[in-house]
Amino acid sequence: MKVYEKVVLISKNYLGPATESFIARQCKSHLKKDPGALMTADMANLAKWMEISGGLLMDQAKAAELSRKIAAITV
Amino acid sequence: MNATIRNKLIWGFSGVLLLLGAVAGIGIYAVFSLRQSAQDATRIGGRLNATALEIQVHNLEAERRVKSYLREVKQLGADKAREKYLDEADFELSAIESLALKAAKIAPTAEKREKFQKIVNETATYKIAMAAAVTNAENEEAADTAKAYFSAADRLHDYAEDGEAAGREASQTSQEDIDRTSKSSVSMAIGMSLVGMILGITMSYKLSRAILLPVEHLKDVAENVSLGNLEVAVRRYSDDEIGDLADSFSRMVTAVKFFRMEAETVQAEHDSAGGE
Repeated sequence: MKVYEKVVLISKNYLGPATESFIARQCKSHLKKDPGALMTADMANLAKWMEISGGLLMDQAKAAELSRKIAAITV
Repeated sequence: MNATIRNKLIWGFSGVLLLLGAVAGIGIYAVFSLRQSAQDATRIGGRLNATALEIQVHNLEAERRVKSYLREVKQLGADKAREKYLDEADFELSAIESLALKAAKIAPTAEKREKFQKIVNETATYKIAMAAAVTNAENEEAADTAKAYFSAADRLHDYAEDGEAAGREASQTSQEDIDRTSKSSVSMAIGMSLVGMILGITMSYKLSRAILLPVEHLKDVAENVSLGNLEVAVRRYSDDEIGDLADSFSRMVTAVKFFRMEAETVQAEHDSAGGE
């Protein structure tokens, strides 16, 4: 399973139908790369932005939880 | 009344409480019925006791008359003495027989019935002994037959005393039963009903809160979202189906928020592009 697919799978529980668009926006705006090109090395950075941007959309505690899960992706 | 969850819960739990109340009512009714039966048994015991005493009185009266007959038969002559004493003695014996038969019919147990049946049987023996004593009152067998008669009278008296004791025992036992049953059963029925009602009320309260609180919260959130207010926090109250529903709702609100932000961003970009 690709890294991007894992990120989507985890994020679906928090972002629902907005998952793919949300991840794409974080990747393009903050990581300056295509979502399909995500690597495990990007996870720490992505997790940080997921918490910041996600906090605008959902409960801060939930955003932090999602961020922890994204940061834990290793493969 | 609307068929809301709150109303359904109120009706459901009211029904349960009503049922509990009915069960308690049936329990208390059963106890009081039992008490009534025990009181009836006490009354029967009392009647048996009184009947046995009455039999003893009739027996003593019959014995007194037979004694008088035997004493005065020679002076008065058989016919006059019979008329003066024995007719009454016969009446007393009939009364004894009738009373003993009635007592045997109402006696509550076989053992007690037997005691009164013995009196009925002994009355027959008594009559034979009395007839023999009367017939031989003026001849050489008078002493023997009189002795046999008095033995029969004593036996009848003893049996009547047994009947009296049986009646008293039935009465006392029933009274003790009443007290024991009443005290333990009434307090047990009341205690169980109270415990049941307290449990019912507590469970009703806890269950209503467990269901109503999250549902009402979700209803408020849905109302806010439907009116355009997306800045509402969706809280997960419990790890059950309603909790899952809250999560789904939360995802939906998050997505709507994101899409709205996206649309606003696109609009702003479009506006700034148009302005340039």
